[in-house]
Amino acid sequence: MRTFRSGLLIGLAIAAAIATAAITYERYDTKTLKRTVRRDAVLCGVNTGLPGFSIPDDKGNWSGFDVDFCRAVAAAIFDDPKKVKFVPLDANERFKELQSRKVDILARNSTWSMSRETNYDLYFPAVAYYDGEGFMVRTSRKADSALDLGGTKICVQDGTTTRLNLADYFKDNNLNYEEVKFEKLEDMLKAYDEAKCDVMTSDVSQLYALRLRLTKPNESFILPDVISKEPLAPVVRQRDDDWMMIVKWTLYAMINAEELGVTSKNIDEAMKSKKPDVMRLVGNEGEYGEDLGLTKDWAARIIRHVGNYGEVYDRNIGANSKLKIPRGLNQLWNAGGIMYAPPLR
Amino acid sequence: MTALRHLILAMVAAVGLMLSASQSFAQQQDVGDQPGLVPDDTVELDPEYRKQLVLYRTTEPPGTIIIQTAERHLYLIQGNGRALRYGIGVGRDGFQWQGQLNITRKAEWPDWTPPPEMIARQPYLPRFMAGGPGNPLGARAMYLGTTVYRIHGTNQPQTIGTAISSGCFRLVNADVIDLYSRVPVGTRVIVRQKPRL
Repeated sequence: MRTFRSGLLIGLAIAAAIATAAITYERYDTKTLKRTVRRDAVLCGVNTGLPGFSIPDDKGNWSGFDVDFCRAVAAAIFDDPKKVKFVPLDANERFKELQSRKVDILARNSTWSMSRETNYDLYFPAVAYYDGEGFMVRTSRKADSALDLGGTKICVQDGTTTRLNLADYFKDNNLNYEEVKFEKLEDMLKAYDEAKCDVMTSDVSQLYALRLRLTKPNESFILPDVISKEPLAPVVRQRDDDWMMIVKWTLYAMINAEELGVTSKNIDEAMKSKKPDVMRLVGNEGEYGEDLGLTKDWAARIIRHVGNYGEVYDRNIGANSKLKIPRGLNQLWNAGGIMYAPPLR
Repeated sequence: MTALRHLILAMVAAVGLMLSASQSFAQQQDVGDQPGLVPDDTVELDPEYRKQLVLYRTTEPPGTIIIQTAERHLYLIQGNGRALRYGIGVGRDGFQWQGQLNITRKAEWPDWTPPPEMIARQPYLPRFMAGGPGNPLGARAMYLGTTVYRIHGTNQPQTIGTAISSGCFRLVNADVIDLYSRVPVGTRVIVRQKPRL
């Protein structure tokens, strides 16, 4: 009887230990960098296809703003921006897939919100792109501001936060409008193109992409106003602080590089700089890279292979891309925008 | 009739070639000033350099001009988080300066007296040139402080977006006329350069 009881106790103890280990495995993952290095590639969750942000060509080569961010992380770790495996993910599976370790980073135009962090045990290290709801209007309207849109017919997609934000904004500003709502994005675009409404509203990044599909793109423009907060950020799992720090400071290194004027074109010159800020960035002063678990020249690798924040922006979504989204909020804090990175020191 | 048409076509092609050649030349290296050249008003600016209202957050008061040379943009602050943005041509290497000055004088179709340093560098320049369409200062000029620098028009619209000037900021004539009508003498002009390594 006694042996049976102690046997049972030992059995229960072992079962409990296994259960705890399993839960710990699920909730506490502290080895992402180690596994990434062993695998010799970063696993990067991206959008299945969103022009400017992440899109594959016929040969399966990915490009875009989100894609370049993962390449920057790979450059920091491996000195090789090609050591990334891109995993296209749908909107509704993306957080589960990150949680269950199908990917190391999610760089998939995801809006940072509190519930996404708390409900999925995830962490959004830093804002990569400030998006938000905006308005497309015809140039003939001569509107300078969203406040000039009183009394207009506005096309909006039903069942979106966009529609709710629109209602709030017009109510707050005592303006009337006539809502023309659509289930599908395609139908909304068609209606605007056929002048069934004066204005179309959606997130600014999307409006620039939709504008290219109009019959006469030059006859419409997007107002500078942004009326809601849609901060897009990369995402990692909670409780792997070492990995989170690498992801966070990869982005901050790119932003700081732009602020300091360090680009992929002048990086060799920057390596010889005697300016303390630049010396710290490129690894000629301090041990910032080592403290991240990387090499001294981690940030120089990012800039050399991928470029600074402004270069990545211009190439994929800005002036040198098809989309041509003005920097707006995403301009540096000292040049008209709000993009701000803590100092690297 | 066909011969005439061929001749016209050939001439159009030749002018087109000259234009495209001067454009690629401008992007690569110095284009000297071309006094007497009548600007080609059909040159279409890159969308990035066309005048537009943009979001711009700043603590500077409305009416201030901020020039960000690395971007090749001139911002006229409107307040309320926005600015009118114009595309500009800026000073080439060695002719880049930064700081704050006021507009001290404004002139329509300004005369041009190239300073001695410019003549030393480009000896073919005239000593004086009366204002007009062929004048490199273009349709308007706004003089900055007591310096030799100005915000002015141009007879070379294809040079917007490049760094080739001797330190002045040039806009296409339509834009400089627009800017001129919006800013009085006394306007504060802040010039920002790309940080040095």
